[in-house]
Amino acid sequence: MATFVFRNQTVEPFFGYGGVTYSGYDDISVIPDDVDRYIWFYQVPVNADSAQLAQEIESYNAKLDLVLDAAGDKPFIVFSLVNLFKLRLTGDEMAVEEAIADFNSHAVQLAATRHNVKWVDFGEFTSRYDSFMLINWKYYLMSQTMLNPKLAHEFQAWWERTQAEFVLQRKKCLVLDLDNTLWGGVLGEDGIDGIQLGGDYPGKAYSYWQKSLLQLSRNGVILAVCSKNNESDVQEAWDKNAAMVLKREHFGALRINWEDKATNLRAMAEELNIGLDSMVFVDDNPAERELVKQLLPQVEVPDFPEKPYQLMPFFKSLVDKYFRIYAVTAEDLAKTSQYRANALRKAEQSRFTDIEDYLYSLDIAIDVIPADAHNLPRIAQMTQKTNQFNLTTRRYTEDEVRQCLNNGWHVFCIAVRDRFGDNGITGTVFLKPVDELTVEVDELLLSCRILGRGIEEAFFKTVLNLLRLDGYRKVKAAYLPTAKNGQTADFFDRMGMTCVDQGSDGTKCYQMELNDIFEIKNYYNIRVL
Amino acid sequence: MREVFGTEEVTTASSQKNCEQWDSLRHLTLASELEDSLNIELEPEEIAEMTDFSKVIEMLKTKL
Repeated sequence: MATFVFRNQTVEPFFGYGGVTYSGYDDISVIPDDVDRYIWFYQVPVNADSAQLAQEIESYNAKLDLVLDAAGDKPFIVFSLVNLFKLRLTGDEMAVEEAIADFNSHAVQLAATRHNVKWVDFGEFTSRYDSFMLINWKYYLMSQTMLNPKLAHEFQAWWERTQAEFVLQRKKCLVLDLDNTLWGGVLGEDGIDGIQLGGDYPGKAYSYWQKSLLQLSRNGVILAVCSKNNESDVQEAWDKNAAMVLKREHFGALRINWEDKATNLRAMAEELNIGLDSMVFVDDNPAERELVKQLLPQVEVPDFPEKPYQLMPFFKSLVDKYFRIYAVTAEDLAKTSQYRANALRKAEQSRFTDIEDYLYSLDIAIDVIPADAHNLPRIAQMTQKTNQFNLTTRRYTEDEVRQCLNNGWHVFCIAVRDRFGDNGITGTVFLKPVDELTVEVDELLLSCRILGRGIEEAFFKTVLNLLRLDGYRKVKAAYLPTAKNGQTADFFDRMGMTCVDQGSDGTKCYQMELNDIFEIKNYYNIRVL
Repeated sequence: MREVFGTEEVTTASSQKNCEQWDSLRHLTLASELEDSLNIELEPEEIAEMTDFSKVIEMLKTKL
């Protein structure tokens, strides 16, 4: 991938020469367009005149904006500024720090509002070293490279990992034990007010930990409880212990019983409709951890800290290893409440005699939306993350989706809501025109959150009707088996398509004439936008 | 040196003048790599003197 780096210092030792070209020092006059992506990697210059230095840093905002506007749509990675050499002649001199903070929040803002901009926290790298290690004055004065070139190898390793996170599939669910995990002590022995939570250490450590976990759930990670306890005791603790941060409503699933934890985890994975390999299990008891490790090797089981004061670094390591992604989408944020709404739906289901009756009662509304700049990140994210209802499991980055659109493909997504909640954008289809009359289904997927309501059928048939209106008369499709998408093996058969070829690996090719309009059940309220 | 310059065409006759990849930046990378792998310190003046292969070797002899 050809990369162009905007820089104000020598950074060649860090990004190397392979496929990388560089701007002049603090030079934005040349913006080559024959590259695949841009990187903005400025360093804070050395200048004892802090007022002047602050002004110089402030000028980077406008420069970055200018370059962004001119660089167009290509991926643009902005490194945050880190002051490697903090020189303050007077105690109250904050202008430089403020200018740096200003630039960094500007960069975060840009990443949030422009789909092609990603922000990289350079401080995450530099915070691992002390200032003597970070700057090598000899090399700085010889070659204008503030960051010690001896860190080049470590920088490259870090940078590679960071880039991998751009497309990382993070874990979806964090399963927590209660006693000596979410609070200190044992509820059944110490009582509701005897457990350690809030107040001074060690209770304070558990408060911080719970608050941090709450933040995690607000960022789209499902929290769940798996504890050997009496559920009524726990409910009482949730109700009556004033220091409790995490309560019933923050958990997407609960197993508070005396069954073995492997069985409980399996049941919760099913209830939440996620894979075991999307779960992380946290328990202070090494025996429980070992049991889960042995019986469910797909589940991640990190060691639990020995001391409560180690909980915050432990939390950070959880985030770093399992739960950080580059950008949180609105769908992520609403996820826990959606999973809870799903549990309500399941309860509702048992009260109806037939499934159609039930579906009718749900008031399901499906919006079929053509791909656009707003939903494109979510569409790419779904292709990366969806495993179960996924016919071809082709993974696309945002750029590749954009490429598909540029090549004339039809890409739709669906937003689904019902009377229990808004599921947001939860399905997509990629249609690749073969010729004027024929179109091929390149990818079709639905998030597992909305399965079990016949939405896949309504969606696909709506799309086929649209294609027919567009003049297409023939549709081709393929099912590519994976370890996880077995439930879709006969989907195209059920849609009335003819299987024309079958590979020894289970791959199936289909086609169908588009002659008639497909009828869609009237309990879906479908809008084509 | 081959690794730093990214070319196999490094010989005892190579110098900053006749080796295209041996530019000032890679020269510093070379110095940095030598410092690290041999656990020595090179002064800026010394780095500046190492303009060809034999001078690099000479400099290293004084350090080891």
